[in-house]
Amino acid sequence: MVAGPVDQVRTLYRTLLVFAAISLLILVAGLVEFAYFEPPGQHTGVKATIAGVYQYDPDLKTTAGPDRSSFPRTVDFAAVVNWSTLPSNVVVDARWYDGFGNVVGSVGPGTPDQLAGQTIVPVKVPPGFSHNLPGHYIFVVERYDNGLPVEVIGRRVVLVER
Amino acid sequence: MSALIPARRTNPRARRPARYAIAIAIAVALSLVLVASSILNYVYLDTVAGRTSLYGLLAVALIALGTFVGVRAAARDPARRRRDFIRAAVLLGLAALLWLLLIDVFVFTGAAGPGVAAICALACLPTTAFGLWVVRRIDRNEKEPWRLVLVAAAWGAVVATSLVIWAESLWQEIAIRTLVPGPGFDVSTAFSAGILEELAKGSAVVLLFLVMRNEFDDVVDGIVYGAAVGLGFNFMESVAYMTNLYAIFAPDGIGGYAAGFQWYARQVLGLFFGHATYTAFVGAGIGIARQLPTKRKKLIAIAAGFLVAIAAHFAWDAWLNLFPIEKNNFAILEIHLRTLIMTGPFTAAVVALLLLGLHIESQALADQFRKEAALGSGSITSDEVPILMSPWRRFQQRLRVLGRGGLRAYIRLARLQTAQVDLAMERWHRERQEVDTPLEAEQELRRQVIALRQQFVSSVSGG
Repeated sequence: MVAGPVDQVRTLYRTLLVFAAISLLILVAGLVEFAYFEPPGQHTGVKATIAGVYQYDPDLKTTAGPDRSSFPRTVDFAAVVNWSTLPSNVVVDARWYDGFGNVVGSVGPGTPDQLAGQTIVPVKVPPGFSHNLPGHYIFVVERYDNGLPVEVIGRRVVLVER
Repeated sequence: MSALIPARRTNPRARRPARYAIAIAIAVALSLVLVASSILNYVYLDTVAGRTSLYGLLAVALIALGTFVGVRAAARDPARRRRDFIRAAVLLGLAALLWLLLIDVFVFTGAAGPGVAAICALACLPTTAFGLWVVRRIDRNEKEPWRLVLVAAAWGAVVATSLVIWAESLWQEIAIRTLVPGPGFDVSTAFSAGILEELAKGSAVVLLFLVMRNEFDDVVDGIVYGAAVGLGFNFMESVAYMTNLYAIFAPDGIGGYAAGFQWYARQVLGLFFGHATYTAFVGAGIGIARQLPTKRKKLIAIAAGFLVAIAAHFAWDAWLNLFPIEKNNFAILEIHLRTLIMTGPFTAAVVALLLLGLHIESQALADQFRKEAALGSGSITSDEVPILMSPWRRFQQRLRVLGRGGLRAYIRLARLQTAQVDLAMERWHRERQEVDTPLEAEQELRRQVIALRQQFVSSVSGG
């Protein structure tokens, strides 16, 4: 018996399907990673009180002026958190992320009692630079579970101008 | 002097296929999305990018008009065609310039300055042009027309970037307000870039497939158009990143270094290992679908192409941090290795599809050359078959003719060879029942090949 000619386009099609199957695994891996770092069902309703974001004096380690949502890059600034409004049994931290996603300031993790003396969370100028880099900075207060931040319970976005 | 007879676009237009309606529907949908996104950006995001998007509608309109005029020119008589092509080129050029100006003037030049923006754009032009030249050359059997390759790149640069601005901004806004910063957030951003950017870029390839079926033969053509769209997108993204990072780092004295690094990473290292590879997969899927027998398989192939493109793009964006670059003597080596390890397998996969496609195409064309020669119509002679089967021998023949009959003879032989390849391609598609045009199209093409042969002979013999 003589076999008919093989359509080579079918070989191309099947090769593409193999690539697509591998790609599907990659995307599923991405979803699993997302679910690991953003586990569902973590919403507790707990809210952290961020008093505001203020100009910061690094020498005196104090804040001054009104609550602001944007700063020139030459001005240091810090967020002020009222830890006392949180339940005492939660583990939390607070972090600043710059426009590139780098952590540029943090306190914690710890319980609200442990963090009571660290209500001011300043942004640190990156090593090698004289001022903050421009962009949108995100300040978050995160609740921890099993050593991982699982829920954002307070958030502020601040613009550092060019 | 006799008028030159075109070798392509010979199909009669008695009845427009249904695919034109699909193309129009997609084009209208994309335009509506662009308009809506621009307004939404402007009203809700209130960012500079939103204003750019709104004002950018003029550039988008110019691109659409330029594309329309250019495509319409294909069906015109030679005198009007030339005029229409010039009009289309002017419109597309204006649109590209306008978009560059918008992005740079409204988004970045406030900080970086128009001089820096111009330098960044100029720096990216030669590398992108080189990329387009290479991509077009890889289709060694039947090179795609420059007008379509450039239209594909322009769509990637202008339309695709316009389409994703709003959607990525919106996705980012939601992610910032809802997700925990860190790896989960990065994965979300990678999904946003992979899905939205590949859909935006891929839509251009889909439209080319629907509208320019005569110039979209198989997987090779798909890869060429897809990569061209990717290179266009990469050009605009490079300019945007270079000017942005220059503005950020210039006050600390390293703006030039930051912009230069971006140029190298995106225009040298990532020229083919990036958007060109991703969107080439979209094109490959569509090109394979072009030759599949059933609608179901066609849709699966197109979806598979998009899936691979999205996954390739996603993998780079999501897992880039798995390969951190240390600040040591090996940093340069690490940067190259990272690209090779993360994108290399995808580029290798698209090259594998390309090589297989070229092999299939070469075999099919050789078969059709022989069949046409055996037909004895005079369009292809048996002596010409071995020459037509080899791009190198075709080129050698043209060189010989250049010495004998000058540039005019060279050009006429090139046109004759192109028409002969087109005829073989038409025969191949007809044999596989992949054409929706009547048999008269093939006959017309055959007549044109014979006419081109007469023109060529007269130019060689001094007529």
